[in-house]
Amino acid sequence: MKKLTILVFALLGVGIQADTIEMKVYGLVCGFCAQGIDKTLRRNPATADVLVSLEHKLVAVSTREGQDIPDAELTKALTDSGYDVKGITRTKRSLEAIRAEIGKAPK
Amino acid sequence: MNLVKSALACLVLVGATSLAQAKPIAFSHGTTVMAEYGAGTMVEAQVFYAPKYFYSLGGGYLALESDIDHRRREITYARVNYLAKRWNMEAAQANVFVWGGAGQAYVSESNDHTFAWNAGAQVDYETRRVYASLKTDLHRSEAFSHRIDTLQLGVAPYEHDFDTLATWFVVQARNYTGGLHDGTEWALLLRLFKRGAWVEAGVTDDGKLQAMAMVNF
Repeated sequence: MKKLTILVFALLGVGIQADTIEMKVYGLVCGFCAQGIDKTLRRNPATADVLVSLEHKLVAVSTREGQDIPDAELTKALTDSGYDVKGITRTKRSLEAIRAEIGKAPK
Repeated sequence: MNLVKSALACLVLVGATSLAQAKPIAFSHGTTVMAEYGAGTMVEAQVFYAPKYFYSLGGGYLALESDIDHRRREITYARVNYLAKRWNMEAAQANVFVWGGAGQAYVSESNDHTFAWNAGAQVDYETRRVYASLKTDLHRSEAFSHRIDTLQLGVAPYEHDFDTLATWFVVQARNYTGGLHDGTEWALLLRLFKRGAWVEAGVTDDGKLQAMAMVNF
């Protein structure tokens, strides 16, 4: 019974895992200037968390359960912040895993 | 004029390197507040709001005092800034900004106020380790004409990231026209910024304070 309970919770855990959107962004050289990216993306109601890495030219967004942000909205958010999006990919790895991989502490 | 030519040459020379400069437009729906103390010759404060990432609207106050004969101007203006061109490269960014505005100026010689207009441009290029910028800012009225040309070249001892403190060492050369300052004023500056807060301070070749603070939100 205990094993079954663990299995059910494990499956539920997989089921509710939020998607993460990773964007390759050009022009990311100044943290002062790039804060518009963070602010703009966090205003989106589907956004759970945002990661900006100048070193990796990466902007990653985790979305709330069951929600997504269309590519057009993501591109507009980055364009409105003054940057060019060069690629958008969706992954199941968490923002925390990306943070750990690139050595950034959570905000 | 010689300074402008020299500055342009320097910009070309550092083209392979980079530049981290204050920009008159933050981001869409962003507000920029800036204050600068320029070695006793100029004091300026500005507030701009950017409805879009490529333009901002706002105003400023600029006080100029000649360190030759102590003539003084106090200019209050409204201004539009426009991002004419931006290059977002993989590990660098370059920009061309232009601006223009109008307002009122107090002129100490006549002890009177007059209409004044202003126009300017900035070219900058930056990576995470180097930067260069050239800015020219013209203020004119029937009583005066002053242009402030500023060249900045900076180097960062380490590459900052979004959440970490950025440190820059900056050399600044500034030239004033219209009898405000004799010759080119040089300054060495330490620039620090993290997220939306930016401060820099240093000394000029006359041993005077040069400082600037800016916030984006």
